[in-house]
Amino acid sequence: MQADAEIFFEHSGLRKPLALSVVLHLAITGVIVFFGVILHGHGSAWGAGGGGDAIGVSLVSTVPLPASQVQTQNVLANDSKGLTKSLPQEKTNEPDAIPIADKHAKTKPKPVITASHQKTPPPPAEETNEVPFGQGGPVSGPYGTFSAAGAKGGFGFQGGGGDFGTAYAWYVRVVQQKVSENWLKYEVDPNIHQANRVYVQFDINRSGRPGNVQIEQSSGVPSLDQSAVRAIQRIDTFGPLPPDYSGSKVTVEFWFDYKR
Amino acid sequence: MSHGMLNASKCRNPIKVPRISTERMSPEVWKTARRLFVVPTLAGALAVVLAIPSLAQDWIRTGTGLGLEKVRLAASDFKPSTQDPKNTDLLKTFNDTLWNDLDNAGIFDMVSKSFYPLDVPGNPAEVRFEAWSGPPPNASMLAFGDLGATGNNLVVHGWLYDVKNVGSPQVLGKQYTDAATPDAARLTAHKFADEIIFRLGGGVPGIAESKIYFVSDRSGHKEIWAMDYDGSNQHQITHLGSISLSPRISPDGSRLAFSSLGKTSWEIMVYSLDLNRLVAFPKFGGTNLSPSWSPDGTKLAFASSRGGESNIYVGDAAGTNSRRLTTDRGPDVGPTWNRKTGAQIAFVSGRTGLPQVYTMEADGTNVQRLTDQGYAVSPSWSPNGQFLTLSWFRKYGPGAPGANDIYLMDIASKQWVQLTHDGGKNDYPSWSPDGRHIVFQSSRSGSEQIWTMLADGTKVQQLTFSGRNSQPNWSWK
Repeated sequence: MQADAEIFFEHSGLRKPLALSVVLHLAITGVIVFFGVILHGHGSAWGAGGGGDAIGVSLVSTVPLPASQVQTQNVLANDSKGLTKSLPQEKTNEPDAIPIADKHAKTKPKPVITASHQKTPPPPAEETNEVPFGQGGPVSGPYGTFSAAGAKGGFGFQGGGGDFGTAYAWYVRVVQQKVSENWLKYEVDPNIHQANRVYVQFDINRSGRPGNVQIEQSSGVPSLDQSAVRAIQRIDTFGPLPPDYSGSKVTVEFWFDYKR
Repeated sequence: MSHGMLNASKCRNPIKVPRISTERMSPEVWKTARRLFVVPTLAGALAVVLAIPSLAQDWIRTGTGLGLEKVRLAASDFKPSTQDPKNTDLLKTFNDTLWNDLDNAGIFDMVSKSFYPLDVPGNPAEVRFEAWSGPPPNASMLAFGDLGATGNNLVVHGWLYDVKNVGSPQVLGKQYTDAATPDAARLTAHKFADEIIFRLGGGVPGIAESKIYFVSDRSGHKEIWAMDYDGSNQHQITHLGSISLSPRISPDGSRLAFSSLGKTSWEIMVYSLDLNRLVAFPKFGGTNLSPSWSPDGTKLAFASSRGGESNIYVGDAAGTNSRRLTTDRGPDVGPTWNRKTGAQIAFVSGRTGLPQVYTMEADGTNVQRLTDQGYAVSPSWSPNGQFLTLSWFRKYGPGAPGANDIYLMDIASKQWVQLTHDGGKNDYPSWSPDGRHIVFQSSRSGSEQIWTMLADGTKVQQLTFSGRNSQPNWSWK
């Protein structure tokens, strides 16, 4: 009996530490969860991953430098102005080794090729002298507006003095360059492949600031019209008008042809 | 004022001039037009002037399918105008400086001097137009002039002629007077070059008089140094005997902010170039790094770890009223303001692990991530606000291909172009005031040195050669 009693005594004695253990475990779990929530509940993901999408390997536009004539699609700046690649070194074939006659060599019958077995040979690869990808002068993305993917533009000058374009050809060139640098073609709806010419008219005052920008004739594509107007508005100054020019302003008509 | 406006409006309203493009003209019209109209050629671009005599106004039509060529510019050596013996040295300094400035501008195709006619002009009467506009020089512009020392004075006359436009060739005529010293001759050449670049570059001022600030250890400690844009005139600015990093010149060019290791911690310091001494700036405790001036010069953004982790703070130029902009966990450093608007700040954050470049509004809202992978640091905003240059390992990790290179990224479209390649570690890009050049630090020559390049990655040039030089910062003007 005494042994039984001892056994019962032991059983009842386990209950207390067991309960204590459960409570402690729960408490520890609670503390972990609580601090986890407190410390990581906010902040760490804030603003993160915004640009997580793949960034297109395409070109950056409108570096204020004259575009190079040679349009390349390289993502890497390169000093080489070469239009053509250097010719590969000529391979000189080693003279054929003299075959050693061997009596025991079994001559295999050559498989007979019938017309039906003959494969049509692939057309010979055309030798081009093209510049390989990434090798064609400095990066020349769409910053030369007029050259990019077939798009071009032009303009008209309307000077008070009569023959602005003849007397100040260099200024006309500056205007053409500045507008071309500042036309961001990615502002145009990417679904548009070709559009009518859009005519934009604006004034240049004596200090060189453009103003009074208006669309003279719309292309019918709102985003193209908008990008043309923005190209002018983006320009701070064309540089002061030639000092010996008598007029107070010059009116410019600029057209944009868009073709993707 | 009234003359031009009247004339223009009078001409425009009553009769609408028909838009005739040459390809649409019938042969008869074209024949008549040819008799009436002048057809000037203009450096590769086709310019057709339709002069309607009754209206006395012009319609110029140009259209090109091949982009714009660079202006072919000839810069003949200036001639001596007096018999002074000092002329030889002064002319050499002047001619070399002028040529270098024009060559570095990035907008000219310089005609090699070996193509020039034997008799270079010293004044307008001596210009033979055909000799310059035809082959071999094929120049469209010609810079020429004379220089003469008399006693202690130096007089320089400089002209810029459009040699393909015989009717009214003069674009620029300038006279400069200064002391007869090599330094003055250099400065005069800079001024004349800047004037040419200003005219032909569309009103963007030249950078010949700008400065570059950088960190150099050639005195034994890392101190802040300064030099001209072409690497000449290098001189030490700070003498703190500690470690000074990340110099940033204020927009007005009067103060230099940098971070320096004090007795206990890294603190922001401000050095006045007018007073030639440090000016008071509060010490915040913790590590304070990478200051950056707002474009109006009234605010200073910097990274501070005073609250535990490094975050971006913005305060007044004197360091007062600073407040925290970023609230995330993970270090945020290297703020740089949008130089055009002052409304955005780009910075580097390690919130997702490896450092990436982010932008936010100047009040800390609208945080956007720009780089998608790798290890991207040192953002620098272009003067027109459109681009960010940054130093980027596109692939980062042991054995990963590629290297630490400078990239150019369009903010709006996130398109990018790799500017440097095949040469050491390239870091700390900084834009020139004209937005056509980038100065950066590279180890391609074996040690860290300062290099410049055009913003399209070409024309890479080394500026410093002695000691180790790093963290360049181009002045704002």
